[in-house]
Amino acid sequence: MIVVNYLAALLVFCLGLYVVITQRNIVKMVMGLSLMETSTYVLALSLAYRAGSTAPILLHPPAGKSEQDIAHGNVADPVLQNICLTAIVIGVAVTAVLLATAVRLAQHYRSVDADRIRQLRG
Amino acid sequence: MSRIAERTHRRAVGVVLAVCFLGVVGWTLLSVSGWGGGGQLSAETPLPAIARRAMLQALPAFLTTEPVSAVVYGFRGFDTFGETFLLFAAIVSVVVLTRAKETRHGFIGEERAGHEEQQEEEQDQGGEQKEQTSGERDAQSAEREEEGRDTSSPPTPDDEPVGTQEPDRAQAMTVITRTSIRAMLPLLLVAGFYLVAENYSPGGGFPAGAVMLGVILMAYTAFGYARISGVVNPDVLEIVEQVGAVAIVALFAIGLPLTGSFGGSWVPLAPQETLRSGGMLQVFSISEFVEVGSGLTIAVFALLGMRHDWVESDESDDEEDGAGEEDARS
Repeated sequence: MIVVNYLAALLVFCLGLYVVITQRNIVKMVMGLSLMETSTYVLALSLAYRAGSTAPILLHPPAGKSEQDIAHGNVADPVLQNICLTAIVIGVAVTAVLLATAVRLAQHYRSVDADRIRQLRG
Repeated sequence: MSRIAERTHRRAVGVVLAVCFLGVVGWTLLSVSGWGGGGQLSAETPLPAIARRAMLQALPAFLTTEPVSAVVYGFRGFDTFGETFLLFAAIVSVVVLTRAKETRHGFIGEERAGHEEQQEEEQDQGGEQKEQTSGERDAQSAEREEEGRDTSSPPTPDDEPVGTQEPDRAQAMTVITRTSIRAMLPLLLVAGFYLVAENYSPGGGFPAGAVMLGVILMAYTAFGYARISGVVNPDVLEIVEQVGAVAIVALFAIGLPLTGSFGGSWVPLAPQETLRSGGMLQVFSISEFVEVGSGLTIAVFALLGMRHDWVESDESDDEEDGAGEEDARS
C-alpha cells in the first residue's frame, strides 16, 4: 500500500502550503516551509520503491547469488535516495538561514507578525 | 494580550489552493501509479538508466558495496560538490546574520586609518553642511568625554574596550542526566565515526556529520557551554569547516591533471569492504563529514548565541508604538 505514502506526502505538503498562506507568524511560516520540504523526502523514497524490491546494497548476497545478480535484480532506485539525502541537507541549510533572519527581524521590529514588518513595502 | 493573539489570514484562499494542489497532484500520482496493486511501481518497471548504471558499476568502478554512496560521491559527485557549497554559503549567511558586534582582542584603529579618506570625502562633497556635521560630531564626542563616556557605544570604533567577554556559566543538569550522557557520548561518537569510516551508510559523511552535531549538543545540554567551549567556538569551528571545504575542492581539482576531468576518480582503490574501499568516495565522504559536522554546529550555536542587538527601550516608547499601531489599524 505504497499509495498511502504518496497521499501522506501530499497531505503534509498541502498542510505546509496552507500554513504558509494563512499564517502571518514568521516562525510558523518557516515551519510550514519545513513541512513542505519534508513531504518531498517521503515522496522521493516511496517513488524509489518497486514491488518486492530490495535495498540497493551489494553486501552479502544470498547463497548461490553474486553481487551482480543483485545489481541486475529488483532493487529500489538509488538515485532517488541520493536526491533525498541532498534535499535533507538543503532543507537544513534553508531552515537555518530563515530562522536566523526571523530572529533578526523579531529583534529589529519587535514582532514576528509579517503584517507588521512593513519597511520593505513599496 | 488580545493584540498579540494571532489570526489566520486569507483562510479561504489557503483552503482552495491547498485542496486544488491536493486534487491535481493526487490524481496525477494515482494515475501514474496505475490505481491498482497498492499503487506501487511493479517489479517489472525498469530502473532509470542512471540508477541501473550505478547498481552495475558501483563494484567495478569504486569497489564499494553501497551504490547510494557511489551515486552521492561518485557518479553524481559534482552535484554533491555544488550542494556542499550551497551548505557552505548558507552557513556563511547564518554567521553573517547572527554575529553580534565582536569584542575586540586588540587595537585595530579603523577610525584613525580612515581619517584621511574621510577628510577627502568630506572635502569632495564639499558642502558647508558637511563641515557643520563633522563639527557637530566633534562637539558630541567632546560632550561625551566630559560626561566620562557613560554612553553604551563609544564615539569611535577606536575607543572600543579591549578584552573578551566572560564565558557563559555552565547550566549543569541533574546527576542522572549527566551520568547517562557521559555513558552514551563515547558510544555515539564511535557510531558517528563508524558511519563515515566504513562507508556503511548511504551518504557516509552526511549522517555522520549530523551524529556529530548530536554528540556536541548532548554535551552542551549536560555540562553547559563552558565545558565544550574548547571545541565549539567560532575560531576553531570556522577553520575546521574551511579545511573541509578546501579538502573537497583540492580532491576535485587534483582529478583534473590526473584523470582529465574535474572530480575524476584518482584515489587508488582498496579491496571491497575495507576501510579505504571506494577510494575517492571515502576521501570525499570524510571531507564532507568535517564540512557538514562543523557547519551544522556553527549554525546551531550561532542561533543559540544570538544576543539582543538593539538598545532597550523604556516603557513610554512601547506605549507610543502600541498607540501608533492602534491608529493605523482603525
